[in-house]
Amino acid sequence: MKRIGLWQYVLRVLCGTGLALLVFSNTANAEENERGKQLFEMCSQCHGLQGEGMALSLAPSIAGLELWSLEAQLRKFRDGARGVHHEDIAGMRMRPMSMWLKTDEDLVAVANYVASLPAVTSEATIEGGDATKGKALYGLCQSCHGANGEGLQPLNAPKLTNHTDWYLKTQIYNFKTGIRGSNPKDTTGALMRPMAMALANDQAINDVISYIMTLSK
Amino acid sequence: MLIEALVPAASSYAKDIDFVWELVFWFVAFWFILSEGIFFYFIMKFRKKNSPKAEYISGEEKHQKKWITYPHIAVLICDVFIVVAAVKVWYDVKQDMPPTDRTVRVMSSQWAWTFTHPGPDGKLDTADDIIKNDELHVEVDQLYHYELHSRDVLHDFSVPVFRLKQDAIPGRTIMGWFTPTLTGEFDIQCAEICGIGHGLMGARIFIESKEQHESWMAKNNPRGENLLLASNEGR
Repeated sequence: MKRIGLWQYVLRVLCGTGLALLVFSNTANAEENERGKQLFEMCSQCHGLQGEGMALSLAPSIAGLELWSLEAQLRKFRDGARGVHHEDIAGMRMRPMSMWLKTDEDLVAVANYVASLPAVTSEATIEGGDATKGKALYGLCQSCHGANGEGLQPLNAPKLTNHTDWYLKTQIYNFKTGIRGSNPKDTTGALMRPMAMALANDQAINDVISYIMTLSK
Repeated sequence: MLIEALVPAASSYAKDIDFVWELVFWFVAFWFILSEGIFFYFIMKFRKKNSPKAEYISGEEKHQKKWITYPHIAVLICDVFIVVAAVKVWYDVKQDMPPTDRTVRVMSSQWAWTFTHPGPDGKLDTADDIIKNDELHVEVDQLYHYELHSRDVLHDFSVPVFRLKQDAIPGRTIMGWFTPTLTGEFDIQCAEICGIGHGLMGARIFIESKEQHESWMAKNNPRGENLLLASNEGR
């Protein structure tokens, strides 16, 4: 039998270990993805089979949102930082749903699955918005959410593209009125309150949302 | 006694409702044991080894009919007792409305309960109302009216320790009452299938002593009054 040198032996062991780890991690990923898909069946009752959202259920599109943002929002709902204000009708629906996710592993698995779904571009439902005026108003938003609404994780600012316009409008209204972002546990939401205040009236909100919707195309 | 061993009775009418339940239970238990006893006795007495082959009977003879008629009359007499007891309880709980000046608003929605408590002025729809999600705070031994609403679909306001269940119907304001008799923290649940989150539509009722309730109101006063007192208590 041919004898091999020490370095060759070490190299073979490392390659073997690497291969085993690759197979193991792929299996683990596949299992997590399967678990996420399984959990998503509950979400799809309101958010749609592809996470495209359903206005009738007050459920926004969630497909293809950033993993970190999905995780953060699910944690907020589950921990009572969001969805506990008595006027947050949609949030109050989401809070018990998030409580189905009993473990962090489940929460991450379903967030991963939703993030992996292809992003959806929704049709505009809000009329009367002026995207040109909205672009000027967006100047304030872009310092955190990016020039193209792509989001900036270090600032906890999620991307704004591929959202349904009625959802964006509801959330701006919620931030303005303190329905969202006024809970002491919601520290990142609190940052959005003064920003939303900068949009003086309904027309300004419509304008800026009209501009944001152009970024999704 | 039977139900109370499992779920405490914490309202003035809980024991009356338990009494009707137990009346039905013991009547049914009596007839069940008696009829099964007779049934098994006949099975043993007229078993194949001791008896001729069974023959078909029409059941029209008087001595045959009495096996149906007598128990039937006895069951009807039992029913009279049950109906009298049940109607009395139904009237007291659902139709009578003892007067009080304390009212809480219960708003049901998918899938949460929103409770509006009157503040120190004791009136709803004033600036000192205390609004809480999934938390109802009441004072023990005080009679309350509740004003039940639904924001979206059918729900059911169920407080097991009160033995209280009342449907909430969109578009309608349903009034009812209760008097808590036991301090503590208990479950509130939705008892009408109302969508996918129905199973998680739970809340808690906090039945407090006068001092506890006043302290809670002081801490939660939306006008900000007594906040200093509340913060001192927290030290």
